[in-house]
Amino acid sequence: MLLTLAAAVLTLAAAQQVDTTVAAQRGQRLQVNAFGGDVTVRSWNRDAVQIQTSTPGRQRVEVSASATSISVRTQGRRGQHTEVDLRISAPAWMPVTLSGVHTNATLEGIRAPISVETVEGEINVNGGDGLISLRSVQGSVALRGAKGRISVYSVNEDVQVTSSAGEIMAETVNGEITLEGVDAANVDANTVNGDIAYAGPIRNGGRYSFSTHNGDITLTVAEGSNANVAVSTFNGEFESEFPVPLSGTRKGKGFTFTLGTGSAQVTLESFQGTIELVRPGGRKDRERRERRED
Amino acid sequence: MSDRWVERLSEYLDGELPVAERAALEAHLESCSDCRAILAGLRRVAARAHSMELQAPRHDLWPGIARRIGATPARDTPAGRRWSFSLPELAAAAVVLMTLSGGAVWINRSNISAPAIAPVATGSGLPTPTPAIHANRSAAQSYAAAVADLEQVLAGGRGQLDSTTVRVIEQNLAVIDRAIAQAQRALNADPANLYLNTHLAETMRRKLDLLRQAATLVPVS
Repeated sequence: MLLTLAAAVLTLAAAQQVDTTVAAQRGQRLQVNAFGGDVTVRSWNRDAVQIQTSTPGRQRVEVSASATSISVRTQGRRGQHTEVDLRISAPAWMPVTLSGVHTNATLEGIRAPISVETVEGEINVNGGDGLISLRSVQGSVALRGAKGRISVYSVNEDVQVTSSAGEIMAETVNGEITLEGVDAANVDANTVNGDIAYAGPIRNGGRYSFSTHNGDITLTVAEGSNANVAVSTFNGEFESEFPVPLSGTRKGKGFTFTLGTGSAQVTLESFQGTIELVRPGGRKDRERRERRED
Repeated sequence: MSDRWVERLSEYLDGELPVAERAALEAHLESCSDCRAILAGLRRVAARAHSMELQAPRHDLWPGIARRIGATPARDTPAGRRWSFSLPELAAAAVVLMTLSGGAVWINRSNISAPAIAPVATGSGLPTPTPAIHANRSAAQSYAAAVADLEQVLAGGRGQLDSTTVRVIEQNLAVIDRAIAQAQRALNADPANLYLNTHLAETMRRKLDLLRQAATLVPVS
């Protein structure tokens, strides 16, 4: 055990091409700290972590291992910040924490908790299981194929979650939020200046909250959904592809209605945008998908 | 809003109503859209509070703030902090939550012994308190103080941040400020509008969140 706990540090300096592999064991987390560059983490079927880079320059790639983590850190040779492209292969079971500043992050096939934070870079993740937190200030955030408690956040770009399941919290300030093909009983999507689109089942007992100040909200509602729906807008519109049974009004331009048993709670708020309910596969849903594909 | 059930919604949310009253309230909710809307608002505040547990400051600011806004600090439960609000406190509750999170950052960054509450600032730039928030002026002042603290951190670290990042943050703060101003104008015209109250509070929270995020980007010297 002492041997396991003893940290092994390997420093790979100033090489044109770095290629090293470190044995991994369950209980370890992959921690990557890269100031800048493109970082790609892909899963493979070996219990080991391989780190490769071919970025020319005088950068250092430091790899250290302990009982709980395998850490990869990049920096300039004299400690200054530098951009390094990293290609990392890791076991799918290995949790990943990645942080950077001018860093684009791409993760493929990890089936474990994931945390990614960058300031000026895009985040693209395919996979994730458990706690998943993706945050970028200036870049877009896209997640697909994830399962668990999902938190996606950007400031100045779009946020997208597709083909994922669990509990979803999505936020941006100046961007759109798209939640498509998701299966979640608890969803909270919030932007200030952007549209929100949700396409997925509304689960009995679930809570779904969508809020934007300056944007439209499009909610896909399958026939047979059971939800109590609260709609609020100040200077916006409400449209529905199907008849809505109004059951009450709220001050301002707000009202509530109940679909089926009203089991789920759906809150739709847009200060000055259009709130629209559409049927899956209906005309408006198809139009929306076509617009996205363009 | 004189509905006798309004004041019981918090207890209902906490699962503390006797069985008979719970059944009666649930029957009432079937026919009262106002109560349903308030309950939904309370749930959102509670959910926000729950999501902020991990960001709790080293010193609990809540008791002091609760005293100022007149909210009832409830005993902690194994599931975490429980929040009890009456209707007039609902809008202020979100502001209090903002203050808590902003204060946490301020304390952590300052690495000093925390006061029970952030110092009161002049409040310049703060929207005129609405009737709902008016009774909780100190919460609004605490919000202004938290904003001022974070803006000070940002201003101090501006030279250490990438110029593009600074520009993006400023642009997005401007987006939020415009939204706050629009919500405030709407609220001035319709002070009793629950949606506008909560929307304004939520948008103000977004400003604090962004400031917090920006402040964490400033290297600690």
